[in-house]
Amino acid sequence: MDNPLVQPDPGLFIWTIVTFLVLLALLTKFAWRPLLEALESRQASIRKSLDDAAQAKLELERLHQESARILREARVEAESIIGKSRADGERLRAELKEKAKSDADAVVRNAERQIQLETTRALQQIRTEAVELSVMIASKIIQRNLSKEDNERLIDEALKQVQSRSH
Amino acid sequence: MWVQEIAHQAEHAAPETHGEAFNAGKTIIEHVSNAKDHPIFQLPAIMGIDFSVTKHVFMLWLVAAIVFVVVTWTVRRYLRQDRLEPSGFMNALEAVVEFIRDQIAGPNVGRKWVNTWSPLILTLFIFILCANAIGLIPIFDVLGLLDHWVLHTGEHSFVKRVIHGGTTATANFNVTAALATITFASIIVAGSKAHGFVKHWMNLVPPGMAWPIYILLIPIEIMGMFVRPFALTMRLAANMTGGHIAILAILSFVFLFAEMFGRAIAGVGVGLAVSVPLAVGISALEIIIVLVQAYVFTLLTAVFIGMAIHAHH
Repeated sequence: MDNPLVQPDPGLFIWTIVTFLVLLALLTKFAWRPLLEALESRQASIRKSLDDAAQAKLELERLHQESARILREARVEAESIIGKSRADGERLRAELKEKAKSDADAVVRNAERQIQLETTRALQQIRTEAVELSVMIASKIIQRNLSKEDNERLIDEALKQVQSRSH
Repeated sequence: MWVQEIAHQAEHAAPETHGEAFNAGKTIIEHVSNAKDHPIFQLPAIMGIDFSVTKHVFMLWLVAAIVFVVVTWTVRRYLRQDRLEPSGFMNALEAVVEFIRDQIAGPNVGRKWVNTWSPLILTLFIFILCANAIGLIPIFDVLGLLDHWVLHTGEHSFVKRVIHGGTTATANFNVTAALATITFASIIVAGSKAHGFVKHWMNLVPPGMAWPIYILLIPIEIMGMFVRPFALTMRLAANMTGGHIAILAILSFVFLFAEMFGRAIAGVGVGLAVSVPLAVGISALEIIIVLVQAYVFTLLTAVFIGMAIHAHH
């Protein structure tokens, strides 16, 4: 056993165990335990973040669908409102048109009646004045009083003349 | 260590001036074994056990100190922040910690025990990895060179004592045996914690079998209990020693050829053409081995602890 490579060395053996155990104790206390705990808590926080992200994604998806739904409903409603107001407008316009037409008709009718009335009255007046004028003219011309029959005959002739002229 | 080798053997390259022939085997052994006869601090023996601080004990302390300071400083700096943003070295450390927790400890010991055993498995991995890796860095060889040409410290100075012996503590099977003993004890503790002390020992063999089978099975299981840490011990120590011996053997060609032809130029030629390229290649391979062996030791520890926790029922 003089080969130094295989010489038992109990001193070195014990030193190794002591050195290793001291190193193990020190590293465990000052490095491994705190580090393993930190790694574990970081792992937990990463897991939590991922869970949160997945949750947030789901929530976002839900909100997205909800907003799409709201938008769709709003569009439908807007269309119905537009359609309704268009119909309303159409109806209103028709009503106004109708009313205006009837108003105008009334005005025209009124005016026609007025004109007829005025015409009739004017004719009446003209007729009367023409009679009086004729009588006055005739009496002045003939300068004599005619008999009643003559008078009436003359008036009739004059009236006929006036009437035939006025027509 | 080859750098020191070259410096150390520079004068041996011309044997006629020195008179002492280059002994490759002796040099190699000196550079991979513990320097028992050059203790850094001589301590009295207690109960016949020599507790002197040898090179490998010193290396263990150095590695433990580096690991503790770097890891603790990095973790503390990381945890001081309000928002835990890993930066710089913390990224690497976090990747290692998460890998070991989730790929090595977790699948073997189970979710329930992962926080109990992760610190042990993490410490084993980082400690073994750094102890393996520090052997690839020729710090003490550079220190030896510096001492040889610049510092000129005295015969019994700290520097002189520190440059003797191999730098890879995990290449010493006493060290790996101690680490495997930690594994061995952890298996028993894990089994006892999960099932109770008595139940743990009863779990070693499957229940409900005919008694003749137990006569065969119990010795086998007890043997297996010791074979596992023994395999861990030998695998790590041999792997760490092997690579270094290969590198040193290849670099010895330089001096062997110089001696053989009686000219330094022969050695330098062989060194440049063969030894250095080969040594570089093996060193690159060693980087992988350093990682793989730390991984294997850690993984097997986790597997064994897991087997004690999830005993075959």
